[in-house]
Order: sequence, then structure tokens, then C-alpha cells
Amino acid sequence: MDIFLQQLANGLTIGSIFALVALGYTMVYGVMKLINFAHGDMVAASAFVGLTIYTQVMGQATSLVAVIAIFFLSAAVMACVGIILERLAYRPLREAPRLSAVVSALGASLMIQNGIMLIWGPQMRIFPELIPQVYWDINGVVISLIQVLILVLSLGLMIALYLFVEKTRMGAAIRASAIDQDAARLMGINVNRIIAIIFIIGSSLGAVGGLFIGLYYRGITFNMGWQYGLYAFIAAILGGIGNIPGAMLGGMMLGLFQAFIAGYISSTWADAFTFILLILILIVRPTGLLGERVAGKV
Amino acid sequence: MKNLERFGFPALIVVMAIMPNLLNPRWQAVAITFLIFTVVALSQDIILGKAGMFNMGQALFFGMGAYITAILNSQYGWPLLATIPVAILLPALFGVLLSGPIIHLRGDYLLVVTIGFNIVFIQVVQNNLGGITGGPNGIFGLDSLSLFGTQLTSQLAVYYFAFAVLLLTLGIMRNLEKSKAGRALHYLREDHLAAESIGINTRVYKIFAFALGAGIAGLAGTVFATQYSAVSPEAFEFIQSVLFFSIVLVGGSSMPGILLGVFMMFVLPEIFREFATWRFFIFGFAMILAMILRPRGIWPATFGKIPKFLIKESNHGA
Repeated sequence: MDIFLQQLANGLTIGSIFALVALGYTMVYGVMKLINFAHGDMVAASAFVGLTIYTQVMGQATSLVAVIAIFFLSAAVMACVGIILERLAYRPLREAPRLSAVVSALGASLMIQNGIMLIWGPQMRIFPELIPQVYWDINGVVISLIQVLILVLSLGLMIALYLFVEKTRMGAAIRASAIDQDAARLMGINVNRIIAIIFIIGSSLGAVGGLFIGLYYRGITFNMGWQYGLYAFIAAILGGIGNIPGAMLGGMMLGLFQAFIAGYISSTWADAFTFILLILILIVRPTGLLGERVAGKV
Repeated sequence: MKNLERFGFPALIVVMAIMPNLLNPRWQAVAITFLIFTVVALSQDIILGKAGMFNMGQALFFGMGAYITAILNSQYGWPLLATIPVAILLPALFGVLLSGPIIHLRGDYLLVVTIGFNIVFIQVVQNNLGGITGGPNGIFGLDSLSLFGTQLTSQLAVYYFAFAVLLLTLGIMRNLEKSKAGRALHYLREDHLAAESIGINTRVYKIFAFALGAGIAGLAGTVFATQYSAVSPEAFEFIQSVLFFSIVLVGGSSMPGILLGVFMMFVLPEIFREFATWRFFIFGFAMILAMILRPRGIWPATFGKIPKFLIKESNHGA
């Protein structure tokens, strides 16, 4: 039972990170029908940007204000990168064959990943200890302050995003663009602006996810984005791509699944089991658990 | 364009047949690498370019062939060339078994699932399943080529082995273009629904394309194992699949485009070794740029074996 509760806590933590990253994939896919392969590398880049902001701009301060500032600055930087990426690598290919955009996304991924390596070096860097190491031992189950913060903040962000997309005018415009871009344009929606907003939101959420990865695992490497990006994309598919609550559910589910695999079987087989889960779910439910929200036959 | 095909290809093949005799061993090795990766890229082209299935796990079949050769040679003492049938058939069988359940999935899902296959394969060989893959170090110290009892230890022999495999692959590709299967694949890539409605069993042809591509990649794996006389997991990582995927699409799924792509991705880095750390950054930039400037690839393929009057008809629908 102890292993179960411990892995439940770990799974929820890593699951909320997956969910945050998955939201970026699912929103972009929902509107543009494009797997933004660069998203995972942007998540990794965010951890490095946060590291540099901490050492260079904040003078290694760990006060609450400084930590909040690091989060906002990193998110702002990554939002800018996201807009530039969309403008330069994806917008010119919107009318092109689908695979051309996929190759462009792969190219952007390679560029960002190796850009990180060229700037920060190929070796592992240690992320600063921004949050004090506080642990609670509840009947043998150890939960850290970082885990609680990650879970609470992620849930808060996800609820905020859900309300934004479902309850606001802008959210309605985003949903309309996802259903039919041409019809949305005819209704007076500036689809280019919606796509820019999606990249801002997705990249900022991914940036927060990247900082969480840094805080939780401490060691960050330039190529870690592939791994988290792939998991997050799987999470998005599990929930039903284009479906925002689906991405949250998929992320949490995948996090728990991996934690239990690590706890009960072995973490060396985590990837294999993850993909077997993905394939089984796609065979049973080809549009994910909650169903995809992608218009038309693609 | 037609002239290039008529005279360019024979000229290229003659050059490739003579060239290794004029090169020093280092450049011979580069030339062999070029041949091997061209074969893998062509096998990827069958699945991705010709059949239009988003396969991003081609390194899996390539690696499987290489590992089969290495295991049969090092554990069971089979001569390298004798492993060829197994190195073709087993990956082809896996191609059928793996693609069977997922072939109906929409493009992007197929992409992610095939990435998954590749990653699972790497995890299997790294974890040394069954104690025969040698774990993260792989398998090394394979025999050299031997034919009818004669040891062929020179690198030249490996070159001509690779060259023969390339010629065989080219022959298959050429046949495919002219055959019923090739036309069926072309139709189902262009319009899946229309192909199905004129009676093409799309499922069978898709699985066929997967099996063919997997078998050829497996054969390329044998050549790879022969050339390096070793195999290790990192040669078949998922990033390799990304490169093969990109080569086909950036090249435009055509012969000259693919040759150019393999040259840029695998030969240029050998020439400009001082830029090794910049390699993937530059590739990434080049991929974006190539797609923006030429969304259908640098050298788009034409499906030229259909009578002219039929092409005109079909353009109405496109």
C-alpha cells in the first residue's frame, strides 16, 4: 500500500507536468492540425532560460518574488520564441502539403535542441533550488513541497485555461478556429491572431512545465525535450487530440501509469509499456479516451 | 529531366562502380556509408513516399537486420552472407505484424506509433532481452565477408557488396513503379477513398509496402553490420529515423532528391568534421528553409509511367 500511495503522489506530480506540456500540443494540433515537434524542445529550453535568468538577472535570489519573476520571465521569453517559430517556420507552410509542415517542425525541433546545446553546452546542468526542500512523511509516504506546488499550480493553470477557452469571447474564437478556419474567418475572426495566441498560451504553459521539470528532477540536459515532448504528445493522443480536458486527463493518466510501472515493474521498461498502452488504446478507441476535437477527415 | 534520367543514372552507376578503386580507405568507408544509408532511405521512400504512410521508425527495421546478422554471426557462427535471408524476412515479417493492427490509423497517429516501435526496439536491445543483444555496448568483432570459402577482408569487397544491394534496391524500385502494386500504392497515396472505391485493397497494399520497405532496410542492416563489424543501439536511435523521414520528404521522394539528401545528411558531416557540433542545428535550419522554398521537396518525384492521356484525366480530380 505504501508503494501504491507513494507512486500515486509521484505519478500525479509528473502527470501534471505532462498535462501542462500536452496542452501546448493539443491546442496547436486542434487549430493547425500540426504536430509541433518543437514544443518539447521549447520546454527544455525554458528550463535553461530559467537557469540563466536565475544566475544572470536575479543574482541567485530565491525570495518568493524572485521565483515568481523567474516563472513569468521564462514564460514571456518562451512565448516570444513560440510566436517567432510560428511566424517563420509554420505560417509559410499553412497551405503546403501536411508533411512539409511536419518536416519543418522536425527541423525547428533540431534547431532549438541543438541551439540549447550550442549556448549552454552538452553537459547536464543543475537547476537551482528555488523551492525549499520541505518533506512531509505521512505514514511512510514522503511528499515534498515541490510536488504539492507542482500539482496545485498545474491544476490552477489548467482550470484557468479551461475557463478561458469555454467562457470567454476569445475562447469561443479559438474553438471556432479549431472547428473550421475558413468559416471562422468569414465570421470575422482573425485566425492568424488566434494562432499567435495559441502559441503564446501553449509556449507559456510549456515553459512552466519546463521549470517544473528543472525543480523536480534538478538535472537538465539539452536533449531532454524529445522525451518529455513525446510523452506529452502521447498524453494528448490518449485523451483525444485537440481536446483540452482530454490532454489534462491523458497527462495525469500517463504520469500515474509510468509511476506505477516504475514502482511495480522497472523504470527501464517505462517507454516500452507507454507505447504498448498507446497502441492498445488507439486500437480500442482510435480517437482517444474523450474523443478528438479535430474537424473533418484529414 | 528525361535526359537526366536516361543518361544521368547509367553514368552515376558507372562512376559508383569504378570510384572505390581510386579512393583511399577513409573515403571508401564514407562511400560505403553513403550506399548503406541510400538503401535505407529508399526503403523508407517505399513506405513514406510511394505508399504515403507516415512511418517514422525506419531505423527499427534497419537495426533489426543489423542485429540479426550480428547475432547469427557472433553467436551461431553463420557466415555473414548466409544471414541475408533471415535479415530480410524477419524484419519484413515484423513489418507485417507491426503495421497490421495500426494501418488504419490516421497519419499523425501512425507517426507516433512508429516512433514508439523504434523506441521500444532500442529499449529491448539496450536491456539485453534474452541476453543476446549485448546491451548498451552492442555486439562487436564480427567475421569478415566470405564467399565460397574465400575470405574477402578488403574494404573493397564490402563496397561492392553494398553496391550490389543498392543495385538490387534500385531494380525493385524501378519494378515497383511499373507494376500493378506500384500503381496501386500511387493511387492510395493520392486519394485513399478513391483507390478503395475502384477496388484496390488498400489494407493489403499498405501492409505490402511496409513489409517490402522493412525487408530492404533489414538487408541494408546486414551491410551495415558487415562494414562496421559491430552493431550498437545508438546507430538505430529514433533520431536516425527522423533523418530518413526528412531525407525522403526534403528530397521530394525522387531518386536524385534522395541521393542528394543522403549526401547532405551523412556524407557532408564526414567532410566538414570541424562543424560536428553545428551539424544538427544546420540540418534543422536547412529542413525548414527547404520546406518553405520547395514544399514538395527539392526534387519532386513525378509518377511518369502512366500514359499521357490518363494523366490529363486524373489531373481534373487533383
